[in-house]
Amino acid sequence: MPGLGTSFGRGGATTFVQDLPNADCILIEGSNFAECHPIAFRFVMQAKERGAKIIHVDPRFTRTSALADIYAPIRSGSDIVFLGALINWILQNERYFREYVVAYTSAPNLVREDFQDTEDLDGLFSGFADSGTYDTATWQFETIEVPRYDGNGSVRIPKRDETLEHPRCILNVLRRHFARYTPEMVEEACGTPRETFFQIANLLADNSGRERTTAFAYAVGWTQHTVGVQYIRTASILQLLLGNIGRPGGGIMALRGHANIQGATDIPTLYDTMPGYLPMPSALRDEQTLAAYLKSATKPTGWWANTPKYVVSLLKAYYGDNATAENDFAFDYLPQISGDHSTLPTQVAMKDGEIKGYFVIGMNPAASGFNAQLARAAMEHLEWMVNIDAYETETAAFWCREGVDPTTIATEVFFLPSCTIIEKEGTMVNTNRMLQWHDKAVHAPGDTKSDLYLIHQLGLRMKELYANSSDPKDLAIRHLTWDYPNEDEHELALGEPSARKVLQEINGYRVEPGKSGYECEQVTAFTELASDGSTASGGWIYSGVYPDKQTNRARNRTGDGYTSLDWGFAWPANRRMLYNRASADPDGKPWSERKAYISWDETKKKWVGPDVPDFPATKAPTEPAKHGASGMDAHSGADPFIMQVDGLGALFVTGALKDGPLPTHYEPIESVIENPLYGQQSNPTLREWDRDDNPYNGRHNPAYPYVLTTYRTTEHSGIMTRYVPWLAELQPALFAELDPELAVEKSIRNGDWVTISTALGEIEARALVSGRMRPLRIGKGANRHTVHQIGIPYNYGHLGFASGDSVGDLIPLALDPNVSIHEAKALTCTIRAGRRSSGLNAELSKPVPADQVTFYGASRAHGIDRGGD
Amino acid sequence: MAHGFFTDTTLCIGCKACEVACKQWNELPADGYEFTGDSYDNTGGLHGTTWRHVEFIESMPDAPGAPPTLNRWVMMSDVCKHCTHAGCLEACPTGAIIRNEFDDVFIQPDICNGCGYCVPSCPFGVVELIEHQVIQPRFASDGRTNDNALQTRGGVAGKCTLCYDRQKLGLVPACAKACPTESIQFGEIEELKERARKRVETLQERGVSASLYGVDEKTSVGDLNAFFLLTGPPSAYNLPERPVLPSTRQPAGYASAAVAALALALAGWTILRRGDT
Amino acid sequence: MNELRALSPDASGSGAASGNGVLAPLPDTYYNRPLLKKPHWEWEVISYLFLGGVMGGSGIIVALTDDRKDPDLARSARYLAFALAATCPLILIKHLGRPERFHHMLRVVKFRSAMSMGVWGLIAFSLPAGLGALGQASRDGLLPRWIASLAPRAITDLLSALFGAFIGGYTGVLLSSTAIPVWGIGKRHIPSFSVCSGVASACAANALILALSGGSERSMKKVERFEFVASIAELAILLHFERHAGTLGAPMFGGARGARLRRYTQIGGIAVPALLSLLPLHGRWKTALSSLLTLHGGYVLRETLIEGGKGSSEDPRAASRQPE
Repeated sequence: MPGLGTSFGRGGATTFVQDLPNADCILIEGSNFAECHPIAFRFVMQAKERGAKIIHVDPRFTRTSALADIYAPIRSGSDIVFLGALINWILQNERYFREYVVAYTSAPNLVREDFQDTEDLDGLFSGFADSGTYDTATWQFETIEVPRYDGNGSVRIPKRDETLEHPRCILNVLRRHFARYTPEMVEEACGTPRETFFQIANLLADNSGRERTTAFAYAVGWTQHTVGVQYIRTASILQLLLGNIGRPGGGIMALRGHANIQGATDIPTLYDTMPGYLPMPSALRDEQTLAAYLKSATKPTGWWANTPKYVVSLLKAYYGDNATAENDFAFDYLPQISGDHSTLPTQVAMKDGEIKGYFVIGMNPAASGFNAQLARAAMEHLEWMVNIDAYETETAAFWCREGVDPTTIATEVFFLPSCTIIEKEGTMVNTNRMLQWHDKAVHAPGDTKSDLYLIHQLGLRMKELYANSSDPKDLAIRHLTWDYPNEDEHELALGEPSARKVLQEINGYRVEPGKSGYECEQVTAFTELASDGSTASGGWIYSGVYPDKQTNRARNRTGDGYTSLDWGFAWPANRRMLYNRASADPDGKPWSERKAYISWDETKKKWVGPDVPDFPATKAPTEPAKHGASGMDAHSGADPFIMQVDGLGALFVTGALKDGPLPTHYEPIESVIENPLYGQQSNPTLREWDRDDNPYNGRHNPAYPYVLTTYRTTEHSGIMTRYVPWLAELQPALFAELDPELAVEKSIRNGDWVTISTALGEIEARALVSGRMRPLRIGKGANRHTVHQIGIPYNYGHLGFASGDSVGDLIPLALDPNVSIHEAKALTCTIRAGRRSSGLNAELSKPVPADQVTFYGASRAHGIDRGGD
Repeated sequence: MAHGFFTDTTLCIGCKACEVACKQWNELPADGYEFTGDSYDNTGGLHGTTWRHVEFIESMPDAPGAPPTLNRWVMMSDVCKHCTHAGCLEACPTGAIIRNEFDDVFIQPDICNGCGYCVPSCPFGVVELIEHQVIQPRFASDGRTNDNALQTRGGVAGKCTLCYDRQKLGLVPACAKACPTESIQFGEIEELKERARKRVETLQERGVSASLYGVDEKTSVGDLNAFFLLTGPPSAYNLPERPVLPSTRQPAGYASAAVAALALALAGWTILRRGDT
Repeated sequence: MNELRALSPDASGSGAASGNGVLAPLPDTYYNRPLLKKPHWEWEVISYLFLGGVMGGSGIIVALTDDRKDPDLARSARYLAFALAATCPLILIKHLGRPERFHHMLRVVKFRSAMSMGVWGLIAFSLPAGLGALGQASRDGLLPRWIASLAPRAITDLLSALFGAFIGGYTGVLLSSTAIPVWGIGKRHIPSFSVCSGVASACAANALILALSGGSERSMKKVERFEFVASIAELAILLHFERHAGTLGAPMFGGARGARLRRYTQIGGIAVPALLSLLPLHGRWKTALSSLLTLHGGYVLRETLIEGGKGSSEDPRAASRQPE
């Protein structure tokens, strides 16, 4: 998410899948599109039928590769080399879309003189401190002073060279940074043949520019790495240089991991954001009062200047009449984060006995998580656990799993059966950022309840328990607005809250003191939200979905075969393609007729096209930027990226990312080779745990010479599908895919049991020997050698009609520093024929020595790591 | 009006939505949980309770160092062919197997008595008897198992009905509805054939060796109302290169039997009536 | 409609080709899995084929026998035909997946279905066989005299022979009118050797009955001679079938199954009895032994036929180019 967010302004797909048929070329990498998003893949097929070239880059030849025109193998974990080499090739051959780059990106900006690149510091940027974090002061732009637009003094803005010749302009910084990312390096580090690389480079270049566009599609194959965010950044830089962002048939299609993960990050289950991607107040920043928080969180220019309106409206939605201007709109009721409270550090803290209780809702860390052993051992230290799920998962059954004596576990476990999607109404938000309402189709059996009911009931009962409390901190519960009476008599009698009313509140309404939200008038757009407490909104990005009490736009179902603005509601403001101002040139005319999308209508004085303009509707293209003004006035009529402070696509990120302003190839924490580009082996800011229960295989460890990658199959997600007989029979067992050469070497025949092991232990699987897995030749000169990759699906656990070991039991925790996402795709292992003898290393379930315990399971930065020894 | 399927294997992504949609609509049970090791095909083939089956054929060049782009993975959704002259229909002695008003071959499950003669009579190896036992019970929404559907079907022959029940309501068959890439296309047969012929031309222009299987055929089975576009020889897809309608062998058979019987009768007459020593 | 979608596709702008080179060919079978489905025919069907042959052959014998010259033979054949006509349907009903629906066989008369023809043939045979047996029983004093007049011998014998011949041969047609390659390639051989085998087995069965029941030795010898002719014809057709079938015949004629066929049918069931009948050996025991060998040989032939067919169904290469 931050990869896209820092580059363009919003952390979500920049386009929508229905636009893919307009692409002249589609690059699919870090994604197994056909297998994991088969319904959306039909649009790739439509593009193909119209003549588009489909390129698939992947460690395995998958069902996506089978339909692609070009398949390129790649060593898992080396995509930044590949993409960086494409950037290098584009720049060296001058194949970038120059007018777009000059006008719409930060390419002309000059970086500060004291900035030092990875070229200077052998893999590090300037500002790296012993703490394992970067001081980003040197990553800023050089500035010049210009007079304010209103004549009242001056303001500093980035210095620019629109001829792109200055050595410190960002374009040249890119040239220098990526100079060592050559086609030869691609062969050496990725194992991808040079010819294939050139084919792809030429296709991308030939299919970008005024007349043609190329789209990228990625998924967790890119994000589940310790440099995951930087993978996305590399792709973003590439697409900006090619001029494909915000254009039909272009963009970056981020394919989300499961059916409602977009919704789960919009109205978030993330610890560090509030609905609509507002930052969670932090005790580590100067944010202890509303004013301080707003100052810290609000950007002075660009659309985010509106932050206060969204924050205050959110607080009004939470606390209603109890949030007033006098009490800072109940800002004090919000908890403040004090570190990384994401799920994996929390799990580690749980193992150390620091977490008393655990709500596990629709999640299964005991089987689907990484270092799943640690997760299971952790649960034994809880005082209580509440499991809310539609299935009895391995998590719900952690206390009675094989090899464990339930009488030794003190955890009180509650299981609350919850509804599946058809047994309740509500919304799903898909990878197009589109909300679609689903109705309740059947009553759930027995005592099964919807998640909404369960959380609502929890709140009601807690309010009761705290009703007579005089402790100020309990006001945070007591003062919550919590009334969502169901419109349906029958549902009301059952106590089921109204999902409609919740969505109405998220949309927002005009506050009327004394009245509940559902009695007030709806707002029709987030432009109507105010920071004076006159409006409330539970999630500003969704404003517009319920513009009046009768209209639920998430229920619309009128399609037109393209943008279908009357089908569902996409945030923000029903825009399907983001940054679409960039589909027109600085004068507001489409770059070409063939790629027309949004353009300026001089007579109507507004932006027109098949989509909602991602731009102020009536702002003329020729309007100049007002230096020193706030909000959108600071941007000119030719600054398409309205969420960015400067309105431009960021080739260079000046501070929001913890591991660098530019993507750099680092090897995963478990790697088969030394980093061929730099002395710095792995991401210095990646988060790791140096504990006995989280052992790493290490770098270049001959005991674990094979690359291990994990993925899902079309047929399965997890427990949900393993209990469906029709799906279970399609992929009934855990399998490991390996290439024929490795199979011969290890005397493994197709279908045999094999055991795969890492420092954490062993799992067993059935061997699927296939030429689709190819050994790669990597390294250079005397070091050139063959590396084998082994692939194992992560869909399995011991319960269900289709069962098997969990590959998560092999994988230690290592996180990306920006979003705390785990490395799941580039690991190492070894393999042998035969069933597992022991299984998991029971020692690892024991508590670790005191000196390995950290504050609430905190991880530490990897630090400088030059190899040798 | 004849309706059927055109399955264009060049559009198949092997997602198996067709297999699942078919099982779900027809309330068929799972057939067992066996890992085959045959690429991603753990189903194996069509049988009494599997009426759509996705095949996976891997073909990788042998030469070491061959460009990875030459890897080839062909996928196809197999189904009953609904032949113009159907071996199963000819064989059926109870009249359970009929051609319905959509020109599709349909087994009436309340009439079939499980003689099993259709099973070896299908030149494509499609139809099979449904076993009596249920592998896994299906759960009704109130938690009770509900295998009545299977009990009424156990012991009789089963195969794709071309969703006769859905067609009667003007709906598209479940597999065609579920297929995300329209590899399975449903419609009026002549129209599908026209579309298919054009598609073959288009593919051949792109350098893809495509051919139709089951259209303009000269075999005794005739054209198939569920026909395919293939990019390789039929035997790779477990389809016969030359299918024969088995009942066409009968005249020769009866004739030979008659000749033998006559010859023996003559000999017997001589020996038994006249052969007194 | 957005005008972008109306634009026709144009070829990729550059000359960048994708993977020049010949694609690897697809394998010639699908994981060597069977292309056809195996028939579900076990001992019930094998027994029926065998017993049906005996039954039909007995019907032929009935018509060819002069009651005045060989009354024992005529009696034996009539009772045997009837006994089998009463029991064979029960075996067939048992092997149905839904035995309670056996009467659905009577819904249609379908000439193009050998099984439908078989059902009706069996019924058509049962009536004259039954009446013939009734008449025989009445003449034998087991039933009132007047019953014999219900069933004029000329008619029942002729019909028994005609439908008996049908019963003897139709099962071969039934098998070769399936997709099973080894049966299909035998579309002329299997029906004809089935008739021969049926007649031979019927002769053996009746000879055995005569031998064990003290029937006329002269009748015994005659029927043994008939058996000889039928057996030799059967062997000749079998040997020709083996040559004609070529590789498709391997499931029947090759391996352990083929060895079994040779040992118990061709040698034990045909050659040895034939030799025995040529030697100047006489006596009931020789007849009984010879008949048993023939009968066993007949059963093994049907067993080999069915099991060979199942084996043939498993060979995808054989099933790819099906015999006309």
